[in-house]
Amino acid sequence: MTSDLGTRLQTVGQDQLGEWLRSRRWFASKAQELNHFSVLEIHELAESTGTGDPLLCAILEARFNSGTHDLYQVLVGSEGGELIAEVEGTPLYDALADPGEAAILAHLMQRSADLGPIRFHWTGALDRVGESPQVRSMGAEQSNSSIVIDERLALKIYRRIEPGDNPELEMLRFLSENGFANIAALGGWYHYRGERMEATLGVLQEFIADGRDGWEASLEAARAGDEPFIGRLRELGEVTGDMHTVLGSDGMDQTFAPEEPAMEALGLLTATIDEEIERTFVMLHEHDERTAAIFGRGGEVRDLLQMLSHQGSGGRLIRHHGDYHLGQTLLTPRGWILLDFEGEPGRPLNERRRKRSPLRDIAGMLRSISYAGSSAQLENTEWETRARNAFLDGYLATVEPALLPAGEASIKKLLSIYELEKAVYELRYELDNRPDWVPIPVAGILRLLEAPA
Amino acid sequence: MTDLSARPRATGQAGHWFESDPLWFKKAVFYEIHVRAFHDGNADGSGDFRGLTEKLDYLQWLGVDCIWLLPMYASPLRDGGYDIADYNAIHPDYGTMDDVRTFIETSHQRGIRVITDLVVNHTSSDHLWFQESRKGPDNPYADWYVWSDTDDLYRDARIIFVDTEASNWTFDPVRGQYYWHRFFSHQPDLNFENPEVQEALLDAMRFWLDIGLDGFRLDAVPYLYEEDGTICENLPETHAFLKRLRATVDREYPDRVLLAEANQWPEDVVEYFGDGDECHMAFHFPVMPRMFMSLRREDATPMYEILARTPAIPDNCQWGLFLRNHDELTLEMVTDEERDYMYSEYAKDPRMRLNVGIRRRLAPLLDNGRDEIELMTAIMFSLPGSPVLYYGDEIAMGDNIYLGDRDGVRTPMQWTSDRNGGFSRADFAQLYAPPLMDPVYGYQAVNVEAQLRTPTSLLRWHRRFIGLRKEHPVFGVGSYEPLRPSNHRIFAHVRRYEDDIALCVHNLARSAQAVELDLSEFEGRYPEEMFGRTRFPSIGELPYLLTLAPRGFFWFLLKAEASDDV
Repeated sequence: MTSDLGTRLQTVGQDQLGEWLRSRRWFASKAQELNHFSVLEIHELAESTGTGDPLLCAILEARFNSGTHDLYQVLVGSEGGELIAEVEGTPLYDALADPGEAAILAHLMQRSADLGPIRFHWTGALDRVGESPQVRSMGAEQSNSSIVIDERLALKIYRRIEPGDNPELEMLRFLSENGFANIAALGGWYHYRGERMEATLGVLQEFIADGRDGWEASLEAARAGDEPFIGRLRELGEVTGDMHTVLGSDGMDQTFAPEEPAMEALGLLTATIDEEIERTFVMLHEHDERTAAIFGRGGEVRDLLQMLSHQGSGGRLIRHHGDYHLGQTLLTPRGWILLDFEGEPGRPLNERRRKRSPLRDIAGMLRSISYAGSSAQLENTEWETRARNAFLDGYLATVEPALLPAGEASIKKLLSIYELEKAVYELRYELDNRPDWVPIPVAGILRLLEAPA
Repeated sequence: MTDLSARPRATGQAGHWFESDPLWFKKAVFYEIHVRAFHDGNADGSGDFRGLTEKLDYLQWLGVDCIWLLPMYASPLRDGGYDIADYNAIHPDYGTMDDVRTFIETSHQRGIRVITDLVVNHTSSDHLWFQESRKGPDNPYADWYVWSDTDDLYRDARIIFVDTEASNWTFDPVRGQYYWHRFFSHQPDLNFENPEVQEALLDAMRFWLDIGLDGFRLDAVPYLYEEDGTICENLPETHAFLKRLRATVDREYPDRVLLAEANQWPEDVVEYFGDGDECHMAFHFPVMPRMFMSLRREDATPMYEILARTPAIPDNCQWGLFLRNHDELTLEMVTDEERDYMYSEYAKDPRMRLNVGIRRRLAPLLDNGRDEIELMTAIMFSLPGSPVLYYGDEIAMGDNIYLGDRDGVRTPMQWTSDRNGGFSRADFAQLYAPPLMDPVYGYQAVNVEAQLRTPTSLLRWHRRFIGLRKEHPVFGVGSYEPLRPSNHRIFAHVRRYEDDIALCVHNLARSAQAVELDLSEFEGRYPEEMFGRTRFPSIGELPYLLTLAPRGFFWFLLKAEASDDV
């Protein structure tokens, strides 16, 4: 706490800190009115390789006008990386951008270092990292930063931290302990346990160098009307079925034990979606060509939802991927690899850890396949339909049937409810962020309106 | 190979699923539950912890931050469980201690905290302590209760349960002495002069906090000590013990909350906050009957007056606000004249009265008027404090005035239109109390399932409204600044926290009203209606004119023009 670097970090003005934080891609709170930034905690991680300044793990707070706040993890060093600020001529860097500094985290995991509130863990599943590894940045995502070590390990650091176990860590541990092979193996992680909260700070996984991004591959296949690729999507369905079967297999582990849906589960779900439909459809404009096909049809969509919900809840609730789409898959020589078990980054952590019907994942993937089909601007939707069916057939052939509602008709209905939820969410998202993509969710909603399951 | 020892702890400390925030209760929405009445998980006719755990999805969906449970301890149940026979055990009807642990852990995982009622003033006469104490003055527990050879002491103390008790003293033939009790005669008061008693109560609290509870609602706190020549309420020794209790909790269990039930005038209740070193929260009892009075008189004056009479409280404290709860609508903190008015307006049938109050639920009190229910809820949510909802009021459940004591407002929660209202799969005859079956409030007409399906239902309205309040912590932490416009039918005030300014305007009249508000302080800002985000005309120098529908209300954010583009 008393290192020179730490002292210097504490003297960075909050304007400067705020300006830097606000311009980070992983800063999730851009829409809110901010009123204060501060450094809440500084923990020394290790002596750096260079000048002798230790690498620091800092917890930064962004406070909002409304009285709420978010917390962020920043690794600070003096060697190199992205400049945060200069204090008395000495630069302070976001050390994740500096290969040498970032590799320290992997070394700490290997040593199972116990630094008081911050503890590092090593599973032993992966080969150890050498003294001077090759390190490169993999770029920042919405909520995290990742670096690649020696082209065989991926270190993901969660930027915004929330109390509780990160679902990604829980899921990776559970899936590997239960022999599910289609994931990137877990090498280690580090965790914060202090007075403020407990939180997962980062995970180290196998880096799959010879994989092809599932979204890119699907897009290309859709453009080419690629037949064999439809077979690969069937395989993806099978792998997904295996994953759900494993996730629903342990009745003893309270975190993963499958649950019976409560009496009102379907009622709660449809009521929530119903409100989303209402809120989303008031955003539509009469003269917007992109949404003309569904403008004024919010009532119809809500009626459809009501109709679909006339059934028993059925099936079981399990932990599932939570943010499942083609972009979370890799096509590799050893088959499909599934990535990123963090859940939807926009939702609070306790929501992301909730058990729900596995069909929620399936709806996500079906919507993703439709996105691929639409983005390829196909003349007819035949490829899309066949691709969806292949994935779904593969899934239904392998998944433990007890996890799903009984009977094909009930499965289709519940799946349609989740697809509708997803499409309405997409519509909102595209209206706000990617105006050119609006027609895709519109087509998805139309598909459901015109051919209810 | 995997490092199993590193598995994060699964139970116990509440902290795991929450960020440390000693003031969490200031922004929380509370929901009060009677375990027996909520959901029956094992089909024996009585609600239990397994049943309650199954309903956590519902409570999370509704937006509840903290559940408050009525007493669930071992008890002969002669006072709804407020007669505790063993502090370290639960009543077998409610399940096992493992069920309680699962319930608390499952709640925490959903971001919901849990507090329970704890009766510190007295125990059941069945409690081992009393059974020992009555054996005679040589028994180790002899001094654990308040004994006297005569019934002369403490004559100035009022009798609370006037309908059943003639004196605060009852003669015990076993010991041959009188024992002191402020409530029922089967609830002897503990002797807090005895340090062993103090320690025993602290240990009882530790037992539950260790399991993971997030705090207690402390029942009947004003009565812990007695002193001749006083009314035996709010004595300095009582406050001293509460300070000790608070210091213990702060030291050993951070982030927990103590909520005092002190049915007293505001100036006496604030004593229970101490200097922020006694209870974190206390119920604001007197404001509640005045809300009902204001509504019936179509006049906001009683509310403005009681709030003006409410002293400021320390920053780390909070009022608990409620419209109805598991007890009668208490009329102790009103004048005789006001009480007569309340009885004549809200309890025309004598059967509706109990002790000094009205034993009815919210919806029947308001003649099941949807506008009135929404208006009263809105006013409660707008006031400085944390709202406490009573189970079933979110779907406008009714009451059964033909059941004895307060059981009429503790009937089974109405989940569906199926048998027993979805509360239990037991035979009807096994149920602890019959669910409501009348044509207006019965479970076939009023239930969660139907209201989930109906977009305009009161339940769906509650969820949206709770969500709105939680988006704006100003309602929990902001100032209260009454506007008092000349139209006395309008209750209008401003809540302010840093740059977040909310304006709340409520029309208590049955007719449409116009009101001119002096908003000159906010000149240059403009009101944005919170529900629909509709922009209203900018505030100028002149009084701001608003028109409100009968029993209507508006909540606005007063926004600065410049912040529009952020």
